[in-house]
Amino acid sequence: MGGLFGGGFMALTWVNAMIVVFLGFVGGVLSGFTGSGGAFFMTPGMMNLGVTGVVAVGSNVAHRLGNNLMGSLKHAKLGNVDKKLAIFLVVPALIAVRVAVWINGRLLHVSSGHEGGGEGAVSNLYISLVFVGVLTAVGIFILRDALRSRDAKEAEGPSMRVVNFVAGLHLPPYVTFPVADVRVSLWLVVLVGLVVGYLDGTVAIGGFVGVPAMIYLFGVPTSVAPGTELFLAMFGGGLAALSYAYQGLVDLRLTFLLLLGSIVGVYVGTYGTKVVKEVLIRLVMGSVILLCVLSRALALPVYLRQMGVVRFAPYLDAWFNVGSTVMLFAAGIGGTGLILILVVRAHIAQLRIHSTLQVSDPGLDS
Amino acid sequence: MPIIFVCSVPFGGGERLARILAEKLGYAFLSRDDVVGKANECGIPVGKLEVATVKKPAVRERLARLKERYLAVATATICEKAAEGNLVYYGRAGHFLLPGVSHVLRVRVIPEHTQRLDTVVQRTKLSRGKAETLLCDIDADIRSWVQFVHGVDMDDFHRYDLVINLEHLSIENAAMAVCGIADLPDFRPTPASRKAMEERLLQARARIKLALDERSADADLTVRSNDGVVTITYMPRQAALASVVPQVLHDLPGCQELRCTVASTNILWIQEEFRSGAATSGQLIELARRWGAAVELLRYRPDEVDEVDGAPPPEPATSGTKPGAAGGVEDDVPETVSDSDRAFQDALALLVHSGRSGGGQSVAGNRERLVSAINPNIPYSLVVVGDLFLKKGSAVRTRMTRELTNFLADHIKAPVIPIAELAARLRFGPAQIARLAASAVLMVALYALVFSHQETVLNVLAGPFHNAHPWGAVALVAVLAPLAAGLNAVVTSSVLRLMKLD
Repeated sequence: MGGLFGGGFMALTWVNAMIVVFLGFVGGVLSGFTGSGGAFFMTPGMMNLGVTGVVAVGSNVAHRLGNNLMGSLKHAKLGNVDKKLAIFLVVPALIAVRVAVWINGRLLHVSSGHEGGGEGAVSNLYISLVFVGVLTAVGIFILRDALRSRDAKEAEGPSMRVVNFVAGLHLPPYVTFPVADVRVSLWLVVLVGLVVGYLDGTVAIGGFVGVPAMIYLFGVPTSVAPGTELFLAMFGGGLAALSYAYQGLVDLRLTFLLLLGSIVGVYVGTYGTKVVKEVLIRLVMGSVILLCVLSRALALPVYLRQMGVVRFAPYLDAWFNVGSTVMLFAAGIGGTGLILILVVRAHIAQLRIHSTLQVSDPGLDS
Repeated sequence: MPIIFVCSVPFGGGERLARILAEKLGYAFLSRDDVVGKANECGIPVGKLEVATVKKPAVRERLARLKERYLAVATATICEKAAEGNLVYYGRAGHFLLPGVSHVLRVRVIPEHTQRLDTVVQRTKLSRGKAETLLCDIDADIRSWVQFVHGVDMDDFHRYDLVINLEHLSIENAAMAVCGIADLPDFRPTPASRKAMEERLLQARARIKLALDERSADADLTVRSNDGVVTITYMPRQAALASVVPQVLHDLPGCQELRCTVASTNILWIQEEFRSGAATSGQLIELARRWGAAVELLRYRPDEVDEVDGAPPPEPATSGTKPGAAGGVEDDVPETVSDSDRAFQDALALLVHSGRSGGGQSVAGNRERLVSAINPNIPYSLVVVGDLFLKKGSAVRTRMTRELTNFLADHIKAPVIPIAELAARLRFGPAQIARLAASAVLMVALYALVFSHQETVLNVLAGPFHNAHPWGAVALVAVLAPLAAGLNAVVTSSVLRLMKLD
């Protein structure tokens, strides 16, 4: 794949343009279905196409600029945003975003120090390692939680151990957030803001940590957590996108192509949530995330070889890349296919049972 | 005489006041402990539910289902006890279980703090400091519980008829005061409020039966009843319930008719008169079809309360004459069916035929009564405010409807729109086609511009131009990315709307 302006920007052909649109569609479906953004699929997908990791991240956060704005406004209208909490989170998040973008920018220009090493190998490795590390934890957590609640006889909500542990810590000063109706240590809020900002700036997956952290650590209601996170992402993601643009790391063409697929995908995915059980949503989400992690892990040896950390024949790079791509697409197509099948099945079933059942209705019978 | 709900926090004298009231008035006494015992008998682990909810974790399907079951058991327990005779209930916020029932006296007791602290120290043998912390924790947990279960703030004093501060009043004197107020005609039951309570009981019994049957135990259902008609709404993913629900509820006492509707969301339509054949019905059914929603009708008569405000207190309905309306649920006389009632039933029947019925109810009184009749546990995706204040002039009607719409928007967690806006939302006329065409043309032009000038765009983003003017890339991304997102969203949503798939 030919590179433009230093190799970070790929030359677009009809085929890879369509693949990017498809990545956007799958990411959109997963995003609408799980409510957690589709960066975990779109970013590695673009990397597998040959886009430098940091450009893939930059183009992805730029694609979310408008979506975050519209989503947070919609949530705010429904009263699902705790603006005070968002403001307390956004200050450390913006600092962390700047740091993350700076690190990514610096690493892009770090030489692999190995003869014949690919450009951006250090940056790609760094992004992939963060991706694998964070999403492994998130995927296992979601999957375990889903399996546990599927087996549970009674509803006890998610594990209370973390909430109880955090509640037991005495970390003044405390801040009360009116909409979420919680009182949380300021230090905890700052810590979560930093982590979310760092992940948003590094791999654009801050929401994966932000939403669960608000629910599990702060005790924010589920209706408020996603809205508040979107409000936070509007600023954090916005700053990340513009910072990457300033560093010349946003490929607007990829952003446009992702948008073409993702917005339709979001509609499909959102409809899917209405017809699929919550436990199945989490099972699909956890499985797809872990398969994406495996796919990215398969690409790691290539970067390590390019940096000279491990040695194997360069022709094997292609095999690792093919393996990684196949696994990623299997995860995306499998997850999206399952959602589409369930949506179509539910729609047909709904049409079939559409008419109201009446045990007795003399007024209508007559 | 009314059902008296005494709400207080533990150790605050509320229970003692409730017991004295019951003794003085000769009423039956029921406490939250009885309700919790009944819930435990029905297999609802209230203790676990409390632990899970006071910490505000993710409210997930099973947790929400458990809450619904608990509410059903609590409602049924209170209604059954009240049906045996007069009742004093002591608990946290039991009156929220009977929205629309007007013969309810809601009493909130504010404890005397030192006395309360002494009681805790005496009973628990804790130090005063620790006892103070314990009380703070208990109060916070109870507030969280009420917020979770009823979706309201228990410290909102607008939600009580009487607030008693025990700081300067003895419990015995407070009881005398409550006895006097309970005797006022405003709190006497009317046929309509009795009927509303029967509906609540029927609804609760249906919910409990469905929860106790293993075939429907795991289902997420919305259960409503009106005039003995029980309406069950369930999600499309639970299509198998279509045959199960009638089997489970076939012997439900008091159920004259059962209607099941498949819906993934709910639309509430508030209107004063539901005229048959009106265009609005068709519009709402169309919207419900697109959204896969059930439409719930709420007939609201705001003007009836105006007549009561200035009217003398109504006499008890003993002589066969119709008593004056006392607010709350309208005072229908079952024997005579007015044109308005018939039109309401016709509108319900139309929804039933369309497979979009979400049930219906009637409410009269001020706007607070209207809000209290809307179940906060039902997730409405839209509330449509139709024609109201029909006795007023056109200008006044417009203003009052707008004010009510704003009031509802402040008190209900759902978008509230006037009926005129609904028509605009559904319309896909020349203006919408022009908007779609303009957006599509702009989008194509934007994409064509970017993709036919890739070298130039990349030059601004990361090439030599960028090296000289990095802010150019920032401006380009800041303008074009949201613009493309906006145009994509408009085109996609418009096309889906055109295909009636929005």
